[in-house]
Amino acid sequence: MDLTYTAAEEDFRRELRSWLRANIPTEWTRPGFWEVLDDTEGFEMRRSWERDKALAGFAGIGWPTEYGGRGGTPGMKAIYDEETVLAHAPRTVNPLGLAFLAPTVMVIGTDTQRKEIIGPLLRNEVIWCQGFSEPGAGSDLAALATKGVRDGDDFIVNGQKMWTTYAVHGDKIFTMVRTEAGGAKHRGISMLLIDMHQPGVEARPLKQMSGASEFGEVFFTDARVPAVDCLGEIGDGWRTAMLLLSFERGASGIAQYTEFRRQYGEIVAVAKALGRDRDPVIRGKLARVLTELECLRYHAMHVLTQTEQGRDLGFEASMTKLQWSEAFQDLWEVFDDVLGEDATLDVVAGQDLRALHGQAMWSRSVTIWGGSSQVQRTIIAERVLGLPR
Amino acid sequence: MFFALTDDQREFDAAVRGYLADRFDLDAVRGVVEDTAGDGHPASLWKAAAEQGWLAVGVPEEYEGLGLGLVEVQVIARALGAGVAPGPWRGTVLAAEAIRLAGSSEQQAAWLPRLAAGDAVGAVALRGSAPGRLPAVEYGAVADVVVAPGDADGRSARGGFVLLERAAITAHPQGSYDATTRLAELEVGDGETVPGGGAEIVAALTARATVLVAADLVGIAREALTRTVAYDRERRQFGVPVGSFQAVKHVLADLHVGVTMAEHAVLYASHAVDVDLPGADLAVAVAKAKAGDTAVEATAAMIQYHGGIGYTWEHEAHLFYKRAKRLAGQLGDSDAQRARIAELTM
Repeated sequence: MDLTYTAAEEDFRRELRSWLRANIPTEWTRPGFWEVLDDTEGFEMRRSWERDKALAGFAGIGWPTEYGGRGGTPGMKAIYDEETVLAHAPRTVNPLGLAFLAPTVMVIGTDTQRKEIIGPLLRNEVIWCQGFSEPGAGSDLAALATKGVRDGDDFIVNGQKMWTTYAVHGDKIFTMVRTEAGGAKHRGISMLLIDMHQPGVEARPLKQMSGASEFGEVFFTDARVPAVDCLGEIGDGWRTAMLLLSFERGASGIAQYTEFRRQYGEIVAVAKALGRDRDPVIRGKLARVLTELECLRYHAMHVLTQTEQGRDLGFEASMTKLQWSEAFQDLWEVFDDVLGEDATLDVVAGQDLRALHGQAMWSRSVTIWGGSSQVQRTIIAERVLGLPR
Repeated sequence: MFFALTDDQREFDAAVRGYLADRFDLDAVRGVVEDTAGDGHPASLWKAAAEQGWLAVGVPEEYEGLGLGLVEVQVIARALGAGVAPGPWRGTVLAAEAIRLAGSSEQQAAWLPRLAAGDAVGAVALRGSAPGRLPAVEYGAVADVVVAPGDADGRSARGGFVLLERAAITAHPQGSYDATTRLAELEVGDGETVPGGGAEIVAALTARATVLVAADLVGIAREALTRTVAYDRERRQFGVPVGSFQAVKHVLADLHVGVTMAEHAVLYASHAVDVDLPGADLAVAVAKAKAGDTAVEATAAMIQYHGGIGYTWEHEAHLFYKRAKRLAGQLGDSDAQRARIAELTM
């Protein structure tokens, strides 16, 4: 056992920490700061801050330097995940592009795609959306109905995508489109890279139960997409999507742990302010959640170790996702128990709880997106435990 | 970052499991369990434990031990839990640990080589104090030496440990539905003071004992799950394997996550205690709470997802379930651990 980082990794931590300290205004770290901003204003502030961060060399931590990355170790990526949360850094505005699209392009993109996609993405010149889910294709992704019909050098695309993160802010969208009719369900799909700033593409915000609109809908009406803007082979989009989703495997859960552990402290502070912290039932419930959060931390060390050893994590990402999403949801259930009769009030004992309620509402979404808990359990049962289909 | 077992540690694990599979399988365990008149301390298993170094692992090399740490010791505890193995292994290694941590050099020289070689059986009693009655001591009836907290009014006024030799002990065996481990209430006198440390040494030994109990529990939990999955892949009802039903799959998947997390927690806690990491107290409480809950869930699921056969005496599920039930309650059950976690984090 050796739970330390290398000297170079600790140097990186110091360098990053000092940059973050110098570049995050104190008011940004105030609870609720981002929530009360106008959606577009907040997004643009984050977009520009993140660009500065990239230019300072703190983006694409594990990516090769030839793509503008830092060429760092998995340990540095874990440190980055931890320190940015500790410093209250704004959330990335390009989450799908950074986590999924860029690494996929590095592996199977054409030279032109590599050149045109990765750099601008890293500098937030292009915000990438992911066009997977549809009204009729959620967990059953291959049921997607968005169609692309070949017309000379182009595809003409019609259909609707849904639950698209940052849809209204997006510049481009990597989209699963059925380009060949008939045949097997997983065949004949292509992953098209579609410019959202064109006639025939319309993005609308989708107001969520929290009141916020991180997600949106994207409508394609005779949108024209050059056939060369396909990632992977035409008709082979399922394989491209599986490769793309496989990049979830390196995610250790350390960012979630760091964030949720802080939220645990915030909930404890509310409990103390209300004199609820001596209630043995509340204490037991908080301790139960804390137990799961600590397990998430150990699991993150395990994942990082496997990554450093170059071992294939297989379907372990399903376990990581279940552990963090279920623990996060349980944490915010306890918040309501702390508040008791006043669970729904905006202000309790003089304290504005709206930002915390927002987290509680958000927690209901995390066991659905990115593969629902039910899908993850089926994957673990079949792929890890080997139970029959 | 290296949060995993090394190749050497894995080999140790494989050696213990290999021995149990070949030489002391569940039929042998059943033989011990059903021999209600016996002492539950099979000689062949004890001989192997001594020969293969399972008793010597944490004892310093100068006392003929292997000089390894708690990470290695928990590897063995986990493997013994997976085999629901009987015998006074845990009490012996913990007695040696108490003497290593706090014994005089005479006590170390007198006991450590014998405990490491299996020539003496040890036990620890962390409930009650000497002189007095020590309840439910694991293998107290066969112990050559028992480590127990000294009564504040007794000779060890600082609240540290005393050593009690067999001649000074009257043992009253106690029946227990977990017959893979034998218990006895001990009547003891003053004993011999262990000079190093007071209450903090009792806390230090309790932390180590808690980690080893948690390790046994995760060994049980993983084995229970593995056996249940294997059965449900084969067992057919309605013309299909019962493991193909989602109602079964999702429960077993959740258990796999829970057992894996409990394994992480025990591994972390063993290292944290070994090198005295900040937050080691919290890690021990987390490990015990998680391992206890998970082992009881996994063994209860073992019964449920075997169907009727799982409820029979002839099936092995009850051996796992009963051992999990007993150990989950030891050294602070999950609720007690959570009370401790709340204290440490609120």
